[in-house]
Amino acid sequence: MLAERIRELERAIAPVSLAGIRRLPVPGELASVLPVGGVQRGSVVTVGGRNGSGVTSAALQLGAAATAAGEWVAMIDVGMPGGAGLLGGAAAMECGVELSRCAVVRNVPDARWSVVVGALLDGVTMVIAAAPLRLTLGDARRLQARARERQAILVVLESVPSVRVGVWPAEATLRMQVLGGQWVGLEVDGGGRLQVRTLDVHVEGKGVPHRPARQPGERVTLARAG
Amino acid sequence: MSSRTCYVHCAQWPIAVARAREVALRDVPLIVRERIGARDVVRAASREALTEGVRVGMRRREAEARCAGVAVVDADLAHEMHWFERVARAIESLTPRIEIMSPGRLLFATLGPSRYFGGDAPLADRVVEVVLDAFEAALHSELDVRVGIADSRFAARLAARTSSVIAEEATPAFLAPFPVVALGDPALADILERLGLGTLGAFAALPRDAVLSRFGEPGARLYALARGYDPDPLAMGAVPPDCDESVVLEPPASRVDEVAFVAKTLADRLVAQLAARGLACTRIAILAETEHGEQLARSWRHEDGFQPAALAERVRWQLDGWLHDRQPVIAPGDVRAYQDVVAMGESGLDSTTGALTRLCLQPEEIIAIPARQLGLFGGDPEAALRADRVLSRVQGMLGYESVGTFVAQGGRTPSERVVMVPWGEPREPQRPLVVGNETVGWPGAIPPPFPARVFPEGLPAQLLDEQGEPVRVSLRGIAMNEPARLHCDVLGFGHGAVVVGWAGPWPCDVRWWDAHDHVRGVRWHVVCRKPAGGAGPGAVAVADEIAMLVMVTKGNAVIEALYD
Repeated sequence: MLAERIRELERAIAPVSLAGIRRLPVPGELASVLPVGGVQRGSVVTVGGRNGSGVTSAALQLGAAATAAGEWVAMIDVGMPGGAGLLGGAAAMECGVELSRCAVVRNVPDARWSVVVGALLDGVTMVIAAAPLRLTLGDARRLQARARERQAILVVLESVPSVRVGVWPAEATLRMQVLGGQWVGLEVDGGGRLQVRTLDVHVEGKGVPHRPARQPGERVTLARAG
Repeated sequence: MSSRTCYVHCAQWPIAVARAREVALRDVPLIVRERIGARDVVRAASREALTEGVRVGMRRREAEARCAGVAVVDADLAHEMHWFERVARAIESLTPRIEIMSPGRLLFATLGPSRYFGGDAPLADRVVEVVLDAFEAALHSELDVRVGIADSRFAARLAARTSSVIAEEATPAFLAPFPVVALGDPALADILERLGLGTLGAFAALPRDAVLSRFGEPGARLYALARGYDPDPLAMGAVPPDCDESVVLEPPASRVDEVAFVAKTLADRLVAQLAARGLACTRIAILAETEHGEQLARSWRHEDGFQPAALAERVRWQLDGWLHDRQPVIAPGDVRAYQDVVAMGESGLDSTTGALTRLCLQPEEIIAIPARQLGLFGGDPEAALRADRVLSRVQGMLGYESVGTFVAQGGRTPSERVVMVPWGEPREPQRPLVVGNETVGWPGAIPPPFPARVFPEGLPAQLLDEQGEPVRVSLRGIAMNEPARLHCDVLGFGHGAVVVGWAGPWPCDVRWWDAHDHVRGVRWHVVCRKPAGGAGPGAVAVADEIAMLVMVTKGNAVIEALYD
């Protein structure tokens, strides 16, 4: 009884949520390319790009935004059958993801992908996953509705190195294209090592001013300094 | 408010139980092991093993290394509790009001019994006597019964370590030299040590208001402990009426597993009821009735208030104690007539006569719910609960190993630097990052930034020079030719990608002494440009560079990781 009363009071004094508040702020350099410096809760974000262009790093930065807010992120890791996943945990830590609030899910058969993502959207703030090859429009729309209902964010990766993944067939609030960039740190004759990378990121979607396709997007330093 | 308490600790109780059941184990050094998370740790060790350097909580393998020829037995809490039930009944002959902390430890207030036996020291001796009498003579050398008497429960527990009787009013002086870690709160101990207050005496010397304002209620409770008082429970008689939870068992249960689920439901309900009133229970009476009309009762104590899981566990232990290996008692009747059975001498394990028909949980001592702890994961505890539910569900759908979290640990390669721990297990690394106060160094480790995609098996590839020859490295680790092309079918450049930048070679020679694990190879950072694919109209112009970590072993190149 007492506990319920306390919860009622908390709800009564909680601020009315405005659209501007219903967003997950993304700290760091990525905020400069995102509308309102964050991602709207309840939305779908797709992240695409060629292999090696930085898609995973961008997704990890979004995940870091969720854990920085004290909330949870679940990442579905595609990988070799039998469990060895492909996600670099050390990279996640570097991007700022709080590992204790980042759940990693492996061995998801394609046929159950929608079910698993739907279940995860129920309990965590952000789900990061690569779409399976044959994702139907109906399933995608259902997941979109579920994300909206739960005010959770679904981040769909459209490229994973060495694995064939599909595209998100339905609408997405935000479409991010990561276009790669120059690595800094290599010297002549094999000296030095990979240190920093500046990534080109191109964002389209609700709230983003339209840019003609041929121009490069904003430049963002997404890789970490050595 | 404090009352003189007597704390009885049967040291290394699991050892005594294991040796009581298995005569062959009495001559060899013995450890009892249990599984905590992913690790096998020592739960208890025999005297011989302890002198060899084995410690409770150590990993089993290390213990086996320190004490050659040691026998290892699995922990069996059911038996531990069942045998401890004997000890409990023996001490019940001295005083009805005993409280059990866990198998091997119990305590009781000494007011009455002390007067009856003519003092604390005679009482302590008598306690040891009755406990030893409850077992056959051959086991007496196994039983290490330690009795401590002091003004508060906390002090009595510490006194039991050395089997001392602390005189009245001498408790603060007794507690003063103990280090602050003895309070059981590592975070607070850390802060106090850094403030220069390393002992309980120094902590207790602070003014109470200062402690309360700096550390809040939880700190004030520990302050009371350090001073030699029991923290104040709510005034006696404040247990709300009809807080008991009871259930009739139909059909009567004669095995613990039949009752375990019921016990859990009861525990959940009780804790929820109390929590709704802002209370938690620190002492609970577990009552049961058998079909022959016997009434069984036992009190259990948990200083921080029982959580449903902990409470259900203790109910199960108690039922284990009452029901396990049921054999008819020679003198049926009131449990308090145990003395007759003791007089009968060794007769194997005795127990209740009938199956249980009723189970009841009665809170006896309550406290206001302690200040809300931050969730184990930091952040919002409610979010943690929601995530826990969902992740457990997905774990059920996909398999135990399929859902987990990363834990940072020591290692050289990016994939060695984290380990995936299944959801529900304690988040412990396989190789610690920090030992004591020092960060562990890993010479030869691959420095940050870390690649976002790792391939544990490695993608087969070929690293060639301008002439198409594999890149080779001299025995001294100097490159003999330079990387110019990288072929990798899996990544889509089977026809070769042009290497536009590279660094290395970095030789690595790991575990050369282990024929099985020896890895000797050379690592390269390689940045490739993919051959121009069809960039359709409207595609954004791109510098298509892919950076990878390539390992060459015995002439075979594999891509270990990709910087995505």
